[in-house]
Amino acid sequence: MIVVVGLSHRTAPIAVREKLVLSAEGVPNFLRALVQHPEVGEALLVSTCNRVELVAAARAGADLTRVAEVCVAALAENAPVIATHLYSHTGGAAVRHLFRVAASLDSMVLGEPQILGQVKDAYEVARLAGTVGSVLHRTLPRAIRAAKRVRTETAIGNGQVSVPSIAVDLTRQIFGDLKGHHALLVGSGEMAEAVARLLKAAGATILVVGRTLSNAEALAAAVGGSARPWSALAQSITEADVVVTSTSAPHYVVEYDMVAAARRARRGRNQFFIDLAVPRDVDPRIEELDGEFLYNIDDLSKVVAETLSSRSREAASAEAIVGREAEGYDRWADAEQATPTIVALRAHISASLEAEMARSFRGKLKHLSAEDRAALSKMLESSVNRILHQPTIRLRQAALERASDTLSLEQLSAAVNELFAFDAETEADAVSSPENAVPAPEADADPASDDTSELAPRARVVASRH
Amino acid sequence: MVDIATIAFYLGVIAYSAAATLFFLDLARRDGTTSLALWAPRLLAIGGALHAVHVVTASMLSKVCPIDSLHFALSFTALIAVGAYLALRKRARLFALGAFIAPIALTFLVGAQFVGQGSEAVLGVSRTLLMFHIAANVLGVGLFLIAGAAGSIYLVQERRLRTKKHVASLGSRLPPLEALDQTTHRLLLAGFPLLTFGVVTGAVFNHQLTSGGSAEFLRSLLGYATWVMLGGVLVLRNVAGFRGRKAAYGTIAGVVCMLLVMLLYAVRQSAGASL
Repeated sequence: MIVVVGLSHRTAPIAVREKLVLSAEGVPNFLRALVQHPEVGEALLVSTCNRVELVAAARAGADLTRVAEVCVAALAENAPVIATHLYSHTGGAAVRHLFRVAASLDSMVLGEPQILGQVKDAYEVARLAGTVGSVLHRTLPRAIRAAKRVRTETAIGNGQVSVPSIAVDLTRQIFGDLKGHHALLVGSGEMAEAVARLLKAAGATILVVGRTLSNAEALAAAVGGSARPWSALAQSITEADVVVTSTSAPHYVVEYDMVAAARRARRGRNQFFIDLAVPRDVDPRIEELDGEFLYNIDDLSKVVAETLSSRSREAASAEAIVGREAEGYDRWADAEQATPTIVALRAHISASLEAEMARSFRGKLKHLSAEDRAALSKMLESSVNRILHQPTIRLRQAALERASDTLSLEQLSAAVNELFAFDAETEADAVSSPENAVPAPEADADPASDDTSELAPRARVVASRH
Repeated sequence: MVDIATIAFYLGVIAYSAAATLFFLDLARRDGTTSLALWAPRLLAIGGALHAVHVVTASMLSKVCPIDSLHFALSFTALIAVGAYLALRKRARLFALGAFIAPIALTFLVGAQFVGQGSEAVLGVSRTLLMFHIAANVLGVGLFLIAGAAGSIYLVQERRLRTKKHVASLGSRLPPLEALDQTTHRLLLAGFPLLTFGVVTGAVFNHQLTSGGSAEFLRSLLGYATWVMLGGVLVLRNVAGFRGRKAAYGTIAGVVCMLLVMLLYAVRQSAGASL
């Protein structure tokens, strides 16, 4: 089982979170140092603008609470002020938390897509550092799968949640492909600039008109457009399919008559006005004109609110998916408890048979050829598999079912230990450690993981402690 | 052969029904599932293929050219609409139009079973010209059906953007306004010469036939009204920038007239009159 220790936007303000920013180069060493601890078998670190979380697996027999304490100490070592803001989850709660984080159910903006890529990055960094073993190799792919199911089976990621993105989305709903379309930026402003950049990225040609030409030229250079003087406003509006206004003028800059004249010149082609200014730049009466669409900052904010509300409604379905995936993980983890006994049993029987076979090959069977010896070895190996098939199933069933009317896993394990006279625990000691790691599941093998390469490493991948 | 025609008909009905259902579910969905949008056009294509098999085998059985009777003409028109939609849907981003086309195809495929079983010989009319007349009308109607559907969706999308309601929830599921407007215009451009030919040849037949009654007069009148409306939309777009909402209303009005003409044909033929 695993533990999750960390802090997020829910528990720590940015002034605290920024104390835990780690440099990318130091993360592998930080993780390697952590897994040197006798309690900690595996570890990885998820770090984004809004959270820093250490996910760790205990070594066999180690106490999860103790592992959590070790993780808290590691994170707070150089920034004691964060200690009071750290939370920790252990066992099933940690698994659910990790699944919720990957599915963006714990994000500041519900349903935001970046977190899944950040979790994948964290997994990859830890894998390359050699701090991921059998437990995290099983847990992380399940968390990623749960997140992908949430994204594909619910609408939690649908729609845009920022005003500039909404503005561009609406532009696409009117014009479709923006290649060959002209966008006019009137005035300046951070949000208007963001809209212009998105329109440019979508293929639109950007024109900038400002009262001060030098400012307009600077803005045009910043967004990849061309500047025009203020006197060219009316002509530019006629040419533009999209007009983004963001001036500080106390009156309407784009008047009804100006748009009506532009409409005639445009021969009825649709035109979209995005008025980001307060007070408004565009005369609202232009909406009465056929083919003229106008959204002001209030309209855009309402769309953002509608999207967020829609995402909140989807959260219940997403939580249900995460719950089912976590239950599946719990069942796997339960079944895994039978693994030490099964491994010990198999090792014991195989060792006994191999010893007997080796002795026979030196004595009565020494005349056998190499091919015959190989065939005999193969036959004995198959026999071991056949003999252990049913006990393996029974042990895993006992681990999963835990019914009161059947023998428990502990009883069966004790019986096996007693009958075969070995201590299962000693033989399976480092099951959860990188040395005993199972191979990492291939990303390509997961049918839902085809977008791995698309995820840009937006997270500040953590690395060294301050 | 009878079995093939019957099986293709029923399977076609099932495929069209399933496609129509999936298109509507996709339009109404709130979640992010994409399988509906994937399977709906596939089922429509399967329905179209079965529809084609039905038309071919049934016409071979009855030894009637597919466009020689209203029975097949209706079916064939729907088939053309389906084919045109499938060809255009990706290029013009007309995914949501399937919610209109699939039910229309289903209605025409099923509805055609209940009207007359083929035309009788029309005295005094060139059979070759009659065949061209029907072929042009069938092709034109198929194109205008899609134009009418695109115009209807334009009005829905335009109203949604104007009222600023459900902008986030319906979002990109409806085609962009410009794509709808251009598609409507291109389909009208493609269909109008066919319609013109149909109207002209229809006028010739009216002149040659002596059985023209009030229904015949109404049918002709509606045919001319269709031609005037759709032609008017094209001309006004060119000379006065008549596009967008106005063009959509004009197109829909023309298509409604056209459907009324077809209804009159159907009523007339089911009553046993010759074409």
